Amino acid sequence: MRNAERYPFISSDTALGEANFRPYLPFALLRQQSSVTISALLDTGASVNVLPYSTGIELGYKWERQTTALSLTGNLAQHEARVVLAQAVVGQFEPVQLVFAWTQARNVPLILGQVNFFMEFDVCFYRSQLEFVVSPKAPVSE
Amino acid sequence: MVSSELISTLKGLNRSDKFYIMQILISELAQQETNLIKPDQAYPVWSPYDAVEAADTMLKVLQAGQAQDHA
Repeated sequence: MRNAERYPFISSDTALGEANFRPYLPFALLRQQSSVTISALLDTGASVNVLPYSTGIELGYKWERQTTALSLTGNLAQHEARVVLAQAVVGQFEPVQLVFAWTQARNVPLILGQVNFFMEFDVCFYRSQLEFVVSPKAPVSE
Repeated sequence: MVSSELISTLKGLNRSDKFYIMQILISELAQQETNLIKPDQAYPVWSPYDAVEAADTMLKVLQAGQAQDHA
């Protein structure tokens, strides 16, 4: 892939051995004067990006000011969610605007899903080698 | 570590013994795969799979935000 960066799969629980390796992408989220560096789970099965409640607070969002409500699915269906936008900086790539479902769930990882992380970045997974490669989407003119 | 002696021994086996060894190894591998998921342990699935309405709403907010930036 052109202009690509390689990242390792990360294990958060060594007791589970190889089963527990996940593609966590370290990146920075920016909003006005606030920034948060965080590792996010790349989830190709997720329809949307998900922002944990605490990370939204760190970025300075006020829950009551986010007026667009969302209904999520799976374990997240039981928690309220609202739409927020933030700038994301991945590696050395240009910043992109990401849209998140900001959930009131506390123990959820930051999830990067189809809308709109995978619309902005191409990702190739090499699970057997515990690596994945990320590159920005190709310009339309290419 | 697989030694060259072992490889040499395996290559020396007749056809049926090679199939037998292969079946043993495939069975071992399948068993190991099963062991990756432990019983009586919770594995929460946070993935918002098939949240199509939420995805549609978020795309509209994103497009509105981008239009505002370009105005």
